[in-house]
Amino acid sequence: MKNLLNFIIKRGLITLPILFFLPFLTLCLMHMIPGNYFDSLKMNPQISAETITQYESHYHLGEPLAIQYFHWLKNLLRLDLGFSFAYQQPVLSILKSRVWNTFLLSSVSIIFAWCLAVPMGLLAGLRPNGWLDRTLKSLSYLGLAFPNFFLCLLLLYLAYRIGGLPLSGMRSVHFEDLCYLDRILDVARHMVIPVLVLGGGSACVLFRLMRAQTIEVSNKDFILLLRACRIPERKIIFKHILRNAVNPLVTLFGMELPALFSGAALVEIFTGWPGLGQVMLSAVRAQDLFLVLGNMLVISFLLILGNLLSDILLIAVDPRIRSLHPQGRAGI
Amino acid sequence: MSPFTPLRFDETRKRCRVRAICVASFFLIFFFPSRGIAEKTITLALGTDPKSFNPAISQETSTTAVVGLLFEGLTRFDPQSGEVLPCLAESWEISPDGQIWTFHLRKNVQWFDGQPFTSGDVVFTFRDLLLNPFVPVPARGIFTLRGDPVQVEEIDQHTVRFHLPQPFAPFLMSLGYPIFPEHVLQNPVAQGKLASVWGIGEAPGNIIGTGPFKLKKYIPGERVELVRNDRYWRKDFRGEALPRLEKVVLLIIPNPEARLLKFFEEELDVYPVRGNDYPLLKPREKKGNFTIYETGVDVGSHFLVFNQNDPEPHRRKWFQNRRFRDAVSRSIDRPAMIDLIYNGFAVPQCSPVSPGIPFFFDPDISCLDFNPAQAAEELRGEGFEDKNQDGILEDSEGVPVEFTILTNSENPDRVSIASMIRQDLAKIGFKVTLLPIEFNSLVVKLTATGEWSASVMGLTGTPDPHFGITVWKSDGALHFWNRKGDRSEWETRLDSIFDQAAVSLDRGRRKALYDEWQKIAAGELPLIFTVLPKTVYAARNRLCHLKPTPLGGILYNIDEIDVAEEIPAKAST
Amino acid sequence: MTRFRKTKMRQALLPGIFLGTLLLSAAGAGWIAPYSPHAEAREYAYHPPAKIHFRNEQGGISLFRPYVYETRRVFDSFRRRHYVEKPGRKFYVTFFKGCLFTVPEPAKAYLLGSDPRGRDILSRILFGTRTSLSIAFLGALLATVLGFWVGGLAGYFGGRIDQFLMRLSEFFIMIPAFYLLLALRSALPPDLGSRETFLLVVLILSVIGWGGLSRVVRGMTLSLREREFVSAAKILGRGDFEILTRHILPHLISYLGIAVSLAIPGYILGESVLSLLGLGIQEPDVSLGNLLQDCLSIPNIEFNPWLFAPGFWLAFISFGFYFLGDRLTRSGENG
Repeated sequence: MKNLLNFIIKRGLITLPILFFLPFLTLCLMHMIPGNYFDSLKMNPQISAETITQYESHYHLGEPLAIQYFHWLKNLLRLDLGFSFAYQQPVLSILKSRVWNTFLLSSVSIIFAWCLAVPMGLLAGLRPNGWLDRTLKSLSYLGLAFPNFFLCLLLLYLAYRIGGLPLSGMRSVHFEDLCYLDRILDVARHMVIPVLVLGGGSACVLFRLMRAQTIEVSNKDFILLLRACRIPERKIIFKHILRNAVNPLVTLFGMELPALFSGAALVEIFTGWPGLGQVMLSAVRAQDLFLVLGNMLVISFLLILGNLLSDILLIAVDPRIRSLHPQGRAGI
Repeated sequence: MSPFTPLRFDETRKRCRVRAICVASFFLIFFFPSRGIAEKTITLALGTDPKSFNPAISQETSTTAVVGLLFEGLTRFDPQSGEVLPCLAESWEISPDGQIWTFHLRKNVQWFDGQPFTSGDVVFTFRDLLLNPFVPVPARGIFTLRGDPVQVEEIDQHTVRFHLPQPFAPFLMSLGYPIFPEHVLQNPVAQGKLASVWGIGEAPGNIIGTGPFKLKKYIPGERVELVRNDRYWRKDFRGEALPRLEKVVLLIIPNPEARLLKFFEEELDVYPVRGNDYPLLKPREKKGNFTIYETGVDVGSHFLVFNQNDPEPHRRKWFQNRRFRDAVSRSIDRPAMIDLIYNGFAVPQCSPVSPGIPFFFDPDISCLDFNPAQAAEELRGEGFEDKNQDGILEDSEGVPVEFTILTNSENPDRVSIASMIRQDLAKIGFKVTLLPIEFNSLVVKLTATGEWSASVMGLTGTPDPHFGITVWKSDGALHFWNRKGDRSEWETRLDSIFDQAAVSLDRGRRKALYDEWQKIAAGELPLIFTVLPKTVYAARNRLCHLKPTPLGGILYNIDEIDVAEEIPAKAST
Repeated sequence: MTRFRKTKMRQALLPGIFLGTLLLSAAGAGWIAPYSPHAEAREYAYHPPAKIHFRNEQGGISLFRPYVYETRRVFDSFRRRHYVEKPGRKFYVTFFKGCLFTVPEPAKAYLLGSDPRGRDILSRILFGTRTSLSIAFLGALLATVLGFWVGGLAGYFGGRIDQFLMRLSEFFIMIPAFYLLLALRSALPPDLGSRETFLLVVLILSVIGWGGLSRVVRGMTLSLREREFVSAAKILGRGDFEILTRHILPHLISYLGIAVSLAIPGYILGESVLSLLGLGIQEPDVSLGNLLQDCLSIPNIEFNPWLFAPGFWLAFISFGFYFLGDRLTRSGENG
């Protein structure tokens, strides 16, 4: 157990820098804008001159880059992510309400993708070049190549024609009046299309990987040995082939996360799911500095969390790693 | 060897059971949408989050849509009759010289927190709040005539008197301005904190007004909920208390397509129909249980404006040339705009006053016909010719006609109009670049830095032309086309027209003055108007007492609107 | 050529042909497209794909003399557009006269229909492909160059430089591409001319993709570094830079080439997404993402489903590139 904790802490420390790198990068970029960010805001009659001077001094916006970043970090420790001018609210409150939505969508999509891809990959790999394998391979190919935002539009159109599914947003109007179970069902109904698009894309990648792994593992000698010992086929498949084949998938789980969040942002924008992706787009459109920075921070945080989870998962799945020193894994 | 041996019996059963549950929940999710508990609610859509709950400092439409239901003024405008009606003031008298107005306030009006509404609140609003030295309130300009602010004094608990430095024709209409509670805002205003009070972080219970609805809840990014003000003073003609609705929900839906979808899913009760939505919605009227109301023409404007103070001297010369502007107006294909952008639901616009304001609209103003040949002719007469046959006209000094049109990227209709204008001008030989930029940047360029050549912009309309004064008077903040240069003769005449019309209380005289204004505007073309969309609404049939009118749309009488039958109680799943 | 290479080439033939046609059609858009991408025919807005007839006067089918009828617009009671053919005068399609095929005015040969302003969608797709492909190609190239240099330097020098550069590339790999895209876009002024926007989009895209490539290049360089020809070059006194470019790079070329081609669909999609959201290529320039903006409107799609065509074309391109890349890499496994 102590080893595990050590491992987590060490891994966390290694990936923590990214938490601060992303916003720093963004800040650098925003410094490249010719002219002062606040020039256009000054002309906006909604915002009084006092508010602007107040924020300029409070956030040290007139000062050099490094100092700005330092102050931003300092504020971060007090959990003050700045003030969003587009929404006229503190950045933290905007992001707080959205993080859960993005997290929910992403996790359900991952679960969906795994539940779909792993069995399919297993089945396809067990009978390579069979009719099932060929069909699934083509389907996954199509799914990979198809741009996911276009798939989103197509699915929305189909759903609109067929009816029965809500086409945008996360909750119905009457959400507040529903009982607990109904609320879950309501959100679930709204999640169908986004999860299909997001999870479907991941599923295609996972499927191909799983299939390749299944084939590879099935051809290994020890499987032949197990069969010769007349161990029941089911046991061979589930206890040996599956567990060995899934291993690399879990390893790669952390690497999938950036793509997942990217995809999630896109899907959120097109289906109106109120998550971080939507906020990012409005922040960019409004050139709202703090909101963009805060958003990048939250995303980095989610990424680190996801990586940590994947490492824990790996330890749980692969007994070989448990005995290794925590720094056994190279690279990310 | 087959890798798959048949499953054993009990595992089959377990698997079947699991599968059955999955399938059942699948169907449950799809076919049993749940409905909410009954309450007389109307659900509307907002384009963005409100930026504030303080009507004194915020003028954006998403803000006014919310606070407009919470606050009231001394008078209110009735779009149906076009008259100004009593609201918080019951009656009033005007002195013969039109400069002293005495208002008798309604008794027994209470603020949301139960405090009585008195003349102290009116005096506070017009003296302390409007004219406070710390925070500029946009409306101050309206109540400052010839540099002197309007004075107000309290006569007794329910009577106030206004002293105007000069007669002011639209005074009654401007008194729709919301009255603020003295007992709540006195301290913040005195301390100069007006800008930070009643922001969107404020607890809903602290926003105190006298209107038909009060703020109950605000979930950022999702919705604003208003509930009925049980203390509201207004009663219907039978003496029953208003408003009839119990709840108003405003969903925040930035994407216009999402709004249409929500209307289809029966989650929105009122939807402003765009021209291209009409063929989609109209056939579904019966099935969807709604009705489409065509209420008339919009009261704003969309126009092309040239910078007659363009920093580049050649362009300045072209833009100052009236015949140049005339030729441009003739080469704009307005019928095509009406057809393609609005699907026929628009009218060509040639006057700064919309046909939706029938009293002031001058129908004699004729629109310039779409005639690119004549436009080319006119340009030739002014020395513009394509000497080197490259498709682009050059002026008499050989400079090719090239400029950039700016517009704001957030408004897709405006961008389409600008794009079509660009194509039209390309046909007569102008090389035009279109640059959609962000609204605030555009405003800065137009009103401050002056770094622009041409722009497609729009303005909101008002029932009284006087409120266009910031555009048409030479010293106005929105006098886009000529902010620094010499005044031309017609601009001086317009200044005089607006000054005279502001102080005259004779409707006939005002109409004659504003008719002259419209003729001058149509002749001199500082703003080249394009088209005006028609206003069309779709509203659920379960809403009663709807009185759609051109000027007010469909929700101006929201305190009278009722819901016919209740939403069915929650279905048990 | 080795047998290995020959198999590889053969397997890559089909997708290669496909992509070759694609490139040719994009390059030759000016000749293939019957109409200019900016030519608005306002009376023919939302026109469905043209009905081409092959029936001749005798009642039989003559494949080489297709013709169309002129159409006119009719509004029904719901203000919905319909286009009705005006039978009578036949407008024969002429081939190879100035462009691949054309139809005399006033008939229109809208093979894929027309958009809300009466512009031919097929022509716009062809010109848009040109823009999108060039942006994607340039972006991929830039990213590859960047990746090569970073990875090469890291692998060649090792030590601290290696650690630092690989850390840096790790960061860039971990950033979700879409967020980085948006953040970069937000850093740059929103109002730019078309040429600047083009270059900007290329730049932004290249920043996203170089990370993964640099790691692979580093690995390859690490192994190549130990080879004899590198030591020989060092002994002969060649500079590091020269060794990298003249000795190591040639070994990586084929891999880099494959990397570029595999990266292109990702960049096309990245550019399309940016343009679709209004942050990339804007009117009046045409790009595939731009063209899809009309699909975002439900009434448009409901009545004019041909507006989806650019999306399918995009998927088609994407599919082709993946196919090609897959064949190129996989033939390594089997061959």
